Amino acid sequence: MNSSLRMAAGRYAAAYDQLSRTAADAARRAEELSSAAHALEPVRDLLEAPDIPLAQKQQALRAALHQLPQTADFLEVLLAAKRYPLLSDIVRQVQALADGRQGIIRAQVVSARPLSSAEKKQTQDTLSARYGGTVEASFRVDKNILGGLKIWCRGELIDGSLQAQFDRLQEKLLN
Amino acid sequence: MAIRPEEITTIIKEKIEHFHTSVDINEVGTVIQVGDGIARVHGLNNVKASELVDFGNGIKGMAMNLEYDNVGCVLMGPDTHVQEGGNVKRTGEVISISVGKDVIGRVVDPLGQPLDGKGPITAEKKMPLDIVAPGIIDRQPVKQPLQTGIKAIDAMVPIGKGQRELIIGDRQTGKTAIAIDTIINQKNIPAAERCICIYVAIGQKQSTVAQVVKTLNDFGAMDYTIVVSATASDPASLLYIAPYAGCAIGEYFMWQGKDVLIVYDDLSKHAQAYRQMSLLLRRPPGREAYPGDVFYLHSRLLERACKLSQENGGGSLTALPIIETQANDVSAYIPTNVISITDGQIYLESNLFLSGIKPAVNVGLSVSRVGGSAQRKTMRKVAGTLRIDLSQYQELAGFAQFGSELDKESQRQIARGQRMTELLKQNQYAPLTLAEEVLSLYAGTHGYLDDIRTADVSDYEKQLLAFARTEYKAVLEELSAVQEMSGELEKKITGLLDNFKTVFQAGK
Repeated sequence: MNSSLRMAAGRYAAAYDQLSRTAADAARRAEELSSAAHALEPVRDLLEAPDIPLAQKQQALRAALHQLPQTADFLEVLLAAKRYPLLSDIVRQVQALADGRQGIIRAQVVSARPLSSAEKKQTQDTLSARYGGTVEASFRVDKNILGGLKIWCRGELIDGSLQAQFDRLQEKLLN
Repeated sequence: MAIRPEEITTIIKEKIEHFHTSVDINEVGTVIQVGDGIARVHGLNNVKASELVDFGNGIKGMAMNLEYDNVGCVLMGPDTHVQEGGNVKRTGEVISISVGKDVIGRVVDPLGQPLDGKGPITAEKKMPLDIVAPGIIDRQPVKQPLQTGIKAIDAMVPIGKGQRELIIGDRQTGKTAIAIDTIINQKNIPAAERCICIYVAIGQKQSTVAQVVKTLNDFGAMDYTIVVSATASDPASLLYIAPYAGCAIGEYFMWQGKDVLIVYDDLSKHAQAYRQMSLLLRRPPGREAYPGDVFYLHSRLLERACKLSQENGGGSLTALPIIETQANDVSAYIPTNVISITDGQIYLESNLFLSGIKPAVNVGLSVSRVGGSAQRKTMRKVAGTLRIDLSQYQELAGFAQFGSELDKESQRQIARGQRMTELLKQNQYAPLTLAEEVLSLYAGTHGYLDDIRTADVSDYEKQLLAFARTEYKAVLEELSAVQEMSGELEKKITGLLDNFKTVFQAGK
């Protein structure tokens, strides 16, 4: 996706986010949009098809999302503006904006073996203290890092893995 | 020397003992696209323009385009090891080059790595490549001459230390030869006044660069010369930074109060490399598909040539940029840009070259805007009317070709012009000292050649200089020492020339 499309997605996301008054509201609506997008995934081809009239698409959308009228309104706007293909990016950006309002920071943690829940909590607490917010981490296991942790958070890579230390040692010995 | 095993073990032990198992914290981004020496990176939100980024595997890049959601980087090495999804680290540094006095006599790439196989270079300092040129207060006017050792140039388009003089012409007209001769000529100059020379090869064939290095070595000129080489097979990013790297090395010596001469060979290819990068970075193309800031590309480079004030040590950086034209077209985009930036140009023409006038300097179109005030007075005295005489001769010679009858005065002017043109011819790699140049030109402008056949002029000059070097060494020494031509010295010169005339005629 090129920059201008991503920028357009950003504007739709910002508009959707601004409809919510509170942080909790924003989180709820982000969740709604995410689940709606997920539910509509099987019919995405139909919604993006140029040969189906807009009115028919809108009707179908309203029928499917009758419990979430506000989300349906937003998706109708997207359909009318022919920006429906940007939906997945918009969902991601709406989620990021809602996280920002709640002070939630997302992080990815890679470890060589599965972490216990106490270790997970300790990791999240340490990261929360470092970044000044509530860090919600997703955990993954990768045996290749041998030991230690590798953490991606806010565009930073905190590399305490054994593999990285061996790499550095190798570089030092060779030079 | 044999390597002792315990030595190695000690070193390894030491290295391991001093190894800190610290956690690495870096701002990282992800490569989303790579190709044609350009990588687009997602993330790196705080990266600064022109910052160096690390792609791993020893490949560095430079952040050029900071866009809404990605960073356009140019790679300073092969893009085969960079993969989509790979990590890119910020380094927090701008691109810089390691310099020190050890770099003199070496051939390096634009990142400061040696290319001549003579071992590592000890760095004393790191100089940033792209800096803002010294301001007005830091400078003083150009006032010392820089001798090229080429009669036609030293007499008619004099170059001063701190000047920017463009060498422009088609391919195969001797542009590089003038620059190389100027570098070789520095050998003739006392060490205190001698320039440290930097030859920056941009986008040339490896064989051409090897030839230049060999020539400089053969003439002993590598003792005070540095070659910065980014050849045709290097990525465009290296070609782009090469002149800035050369300039940064030059500035290191300039700020130590030394005189530096830098040759950019050539800026046409530099502009092309920048055009390639800009187009691949999707910057909008302008005239001849060059990006909008191609003028600034060269102006910010050439503005760094200067003569520093005495408070700053009085060092200087003289730039000789080279531009290759296509079919003598000086009105193309890059030639007009560089002509307007520089303080004059030496214009070489292929038809002059082919008719045997070497160096093929077009006297009418070549100018030096500031060098005149730096020219030695002795030289100014003998060369004062040379330019006008030659252009009058060329005008008359045009008429004479029609076979029209000419009056005595015109015939005399044509005869003088023919001899002067002959006298200004000079072989490659044979630069003359200032005293020799003055002596030759004095003979020409004062009519000593008028009764010599045109074909004998070069012979006359050769013998005259040999005669003066053996019999009148004191006169040559005095000529090179004095600033102004006194009546007494002039008498000595006429005496020398009169004496030589009898010797020359007797020899015939």
